[in-house]
Amino acid sequence: MTHCNMTTRNCVLILIALGFLAGCAAMAAKPTDQNFKAPAVTLDSMEVAHYWGWWYYAKAVPPTKGTAGNNGAPLDLAFIFAIENPNPFPVMLESLKFTVAFEDFDLNALSSTDIQWIPPGKTNQVRVHAMFDGEQSRLKLMLVDAVKLKEKDIDAMTQIEKWWTGISQGAFPVSVKEGAAVFKADSLVKVSTFKAAWPR
Amino acid sequence: MKSRYFAWLWTVLILFAPAASEAVDINIGAFSDLGGATSDAGKEYAMGVAEAIHYINDAGGINGRTVKLFQLDYGYRIPEVLVKYSLLKQKKCVAILGWGPGDTEALAPAIAGDKLPYVSAYYAAHLCDPGKSPYNLFIATDYSTQARGLVTAWFDKKWPAKPDFGKRKPRIACAYMTASPFTSASIKAAKDQATLLGFDIGADQDVSLFAIDTQSRIAALKEFKPDVVLHTNTVMSVAAALRDSDALELGADHLIISSGFTENLVQQAGKAAEGAMGCAPWAFFGQNVKLMDKVEAYAKKYNPGISPENRTIHTVQAWANVLGLAEALKRADKAGDLSGQGILKKGFETMRDFEIGLGMAPVSFSASDHRPQSKAGIYEIRDGKFAPLDEVDLKSRWPEKWKREWLGW
Repeated sequence: MTHCNMTTRNCVLILIALGFLAGCAAMAAKPTDQNFKAPAVTLDSMEVAHYWGWWYYAKAVPPTKGTAGNNGAPLDLAFIFAIENPNPFPVMLESLKFTVAFEDFDLNALSSTDIQWIPPGKTNQVRVHAMFDGEQSRLKLMLVDAVKLKEKDIDAMTQIEKWWTGISQGAFPVSVKEGAAVFKADSLVKVSTFKAAWPR
Repeated sequence: MKSRYFAWLWTVLILFAPAASEAVDINIGAFSDLGGATSDAGKEYAMGVAEAIHYINDAGGINGRTVKLFQLDYGYRIPEVLVKYSLLKQKKCVAILGWGPGDTEALAPAIAGDKLPYVSAYYAAHLCDPGKSPYNLFIATDYSTQARGLVTAWFDKKWPAKPDFGKRKPRIACAYMTASPFTSASIKAAKDQATLLGFDIGADQDVSLFAIDTQSRIAALKEFKPDVVLHTNTVMSVAAALRDSDALELGADHLIISSGFTENLVQQAGKAAEGAMGCAPWAFFGQNVKLMDKVEAYAKKYNPGISPENRTIHTVQAWANVLGLAEALKRADKAGDLSGQGILKKGFETMRDFEIGLGMAPVSFSASDHRPQSKAGIYEIRDGKFAPLDEVDLKSRWPEKWKREWLGW
């Protein structure tokens, strides 16, 4: 057998192998509008991921270094979701977003656009970090929720301090609400809704 | 023999390689406030941006090319938006959908230097002068045109029905946070319009954006006995001023620019909002106008966990900016130039009376004038609903002043 004949034979074998693989893929369940079920999204847990305590420096206070400003402690929470794919085909999580409320005050909205694939019948985990800014949260309360604070007889600064210092003990309810996760399979789109409360 | 080998290889590559002719995505950046001071409106605006981009892509994209959206939350922290602007440049975004006064003003020098179109939801008239900020754009009626339109509509529609009409000059005062460039942006134009129409103008009342008790300000206004008060703050403090005006029986009508004239005003001010007039460049969520069916359908599809009753005009506001930018991109792409300068010159500045839909007046841009609309859409709150009252076309009514005097302030 010449070298050229061998090459030709190898190419044919490659084509057959690729054709076989393509055939196998075609035999797997294909997503359709009827059989594509929206994956289930549930809050597995919430963690205080990074913590600076509570402090606030007004811009009247000169900093040791850097620029003066109104600055409140950040608070980094991590929300860990379980994403269960009930379908016999892989689905892609395209985006996931939700609002976080402390007590009944909406304080932050989060969005993750990190794409991930979930194998058929499997459950993945998604961790979304939520950075709360002490000063911006205070301003948001003052600009939008001042009437609610007045009804609760508390000022924005004291309320933020209570939340920042009580978060690790689960001293108040944290809600995940208005959740929407966008999934794709081929060109089909399904959106799952979710909500949860923490501590449970 | 070698040629046969390459022929086989070529066949394999053609059969299994991805199509080389696939259109390349167009990258668009967006800044949002999801957890900062303005996140109440910012969150919904951000949802509207994402939903509208889905619609654009489903409707064929930009001449067949998909829009890839890089939507970043900056929490209304100015240092962060400066850093994230660099990230969007690294992503090779051809334009950015901005948010409010904070990011728009902070980034204005950078986007002018980079020639990067920045379409935001901050409608100050100084951004409409292409000689000063050519790459700052928006699809809305600028705040000054809104204020001029409101004062004119009240003068035309309400003043003639007052008992003192024909006996004395009408009286107007402005209530806003005087230290804020955002709330002060349209005051000079409002007073100019009031002077043009022959009003007596009272002292400004300093109402903080954080105010929930404005009784001292309303009491001060009572001495002047205004027929009408112009408000340029955001919803919470405008609602407080309306409630206190009602409680203290000020007896004046109220004019409100778009920043304070939303569905939440009715919720927060209750019956005190009845009769208030406001400018809304776009329809309110759910009103029967062109494309509202799409706005509602995409809201339901991508955010089914939020009831339509809780969606507001901020969604429609976002759609307007996205649709306007998409139109500019299509025109620039057709002209073969998706550079920032191309999007501006061959896109935006070629629009003449372009109909966006969404209940908006037609949109025009030119190389010398970036005021998108000369018509101010005026609504009145009746039985808790927003009823169209008037449309004031400032350009056709005062063509010389529109052309030579009013641009940029």
